[in-house]
Amino acid sequence: MKPFEYYSPQSVPEAYNLLAQIGTGAKILAGGTDVLVELRKSADEVTGSIIDISRIVSLRGIEESGDTIVIKPLTTHTEILRSALVGMHAPLLKTAVAGIGSPQIRNRGTIGGNIMNAAACADTVPPLIALGARIRLQSSTGDRTVALSEFFTKPYVTVAQRGELLVEIRFPKLPFDARSSFMKLGRRNALSISRLSVAAILMRNQSGVITDARIVPGAALPTWHRVSEAENLLIGHQPTRELFVEAGKKVSEVMISFTGRRWSTEYKEPVIAVLVRRALEGCR
Amino acid sequence: MKLVLIRTTINGRRYDLEVRPNMTLLDLLRDELGLTGTKRGCEVGECGACTVLMNGQAVNSCLVLAPQIDCQEVLTVEGLADGEKLHSLQESFLDHDAVHCGFCTPGMLMSAKDLLDHTPDPSEHEVRTAISGNLCRCSGYQQIVDAIKDVEGEKRKT
Ligand SMILES: Cc1cc2nc3c(=O)[nH]c(=O)nc-3n(C[C@H](O)[C@H](O)[C@H](O)COP(=O)(O)OP(=O)(O)OC[C@H]3O[C@@H](n4cnc5c(N)ncnc54)[C@H](O)[C@@H]3O)c2cc1C
Ligand code: FES
Ligand code: FES
Repeated sequence: MKPFEYYSPQSVPEAYNLLAQIGTGAKILAGGTDVLVELRKSADEVTGSIIDISRIVSLRGIEESGDTIVIKPLTTHTEILRSALVGMHAPLLKTAVAGIGSPQIRNRGTIGGNIMNAAACADTVPPLIALGARIRLQSSTGDRTVALSEFFTKPYVTVAQRGELLVEIRFPKLPFDARSSFMKLGRRNALSISRLSVAAILMRNQSGVITDARIVPGAALPTWHRVSEAENLLIGHQPTRELFVEAGKKVSEVMISFTGRRWSTEYKEPVIAVLVRRALEGCR
Repeated sequence: MKLVLIRTTINGRRYDLEVRPNMTLLDLLRDELGLTGTKRGCEVGECGACTVLMNGQAVNSCLVLAPQIDCQEVLTVEGLADGEKLHSLQESFLDHDAVHCGFCTPGMLMSAKDLLDHTPDPSEHEVRTAISGNLCRCSGYQQIVDAIKDVEGEKRKT
């Protein structure tokens, strides 16, 4: 590893002031499961300083506030997996973190790092977008909240400015009658980075008719977003296998309209369709 | 590059150390402290050979910067045995022939310890999940799973 200066701020203002002072070359370190892998690559010529935020106590924990769940960015995947609040109000997020890496990676890796790294295969992002999450960013010059669906511009690129710290992730609790699921396809169970994934949420009225649907594929589109073309097919209908198959095909179509046909399309086209159908069937 | 002063507990022993920040916990353990029981494999979090416990949780020591263990507690495979007396997990690994070349063993033991400390009577599925971040190239997984499941029995015997 190349040499760098190491700082471990104890508070959020201390952290963003350091980021502002140092400017280019300052890198935030949370759980380190992405950063350490990058630092070891000799290609990393930029990082001159590491700002280790892992000791900032106020950036840890999961809370509820009325109808909202608030997750602080340093919360590890293991903590999310064990959280009764997440299990009750956002079960699809729990399913997603259960499949991340390995126990060792889940014990260190944080939800904030997963979002800020912005890899196309980030497993917490499709569920969070389906949940309608918003994130709060603070810097020495500002404090703003952004919808997660508008945060990413392309893989590994976000609208975050240099010097901004992610300090909070919040989303409305799912209604009790909502059903949700997350499906991921990787090369093997543990330690597999998602090839493709789907987060889905369905709500139905008393007679079983679908009243709200949210479908967010992961690693399929250039950036994550809900596929309203497929969601609209579902709303107002009884859930049937045929309907779910149609919705799957629609997501496939939308994916190809973005990516065009390339070497991986032959594989991804049928697979994403099946994954969407299974995710919808999982919403029972 | 400024050295970083850290105070830490490793295998129950207090250390005051000055470390280079661009050193991993794995480097510190093996190269500075001579604790070579922890193995260096892939160095990118995929093989689990470097697994140690940090505050009781299994972590890949190749993905932790040395300064990050300031004020934290670390347990390595060297800290498992009590003097000459092996830990019940180690006994069970021996009894079940769960050690072939032995390269993965320290990591497997530490992942298993995390599991058993939090889940005393784990199911086969829980055992397999607990070691899902540890690769064994000798492919002795079944013996390893059996050894971990049978530790309680071992404890009762002794
Ligand atoms: C073997 C292995 C397997 C993996 N498997 C998966 C998987 O299955 N699914 C998956 O989604 N990911 C996986 N990952 C990737 C990684 O573990 C996750 O993305 C993890 O959540 C990253 O969190 P971290 O705290 O370790 O981030 P770090 O490495 O500390 O940081 C990641 C990035 O986010 C920035 N950052 C972190 N926190 C903040 C903050 N609060 N504000 C601003 N910027 C911040 C850092 O500067 C850095 O750019 C895997 C990684 C490894 C090594
Ligand atoms: S050496 Fe750390 S996981 Fe392989
Ligand atoms: S015993 Fe050889 S790698 Fe597991």
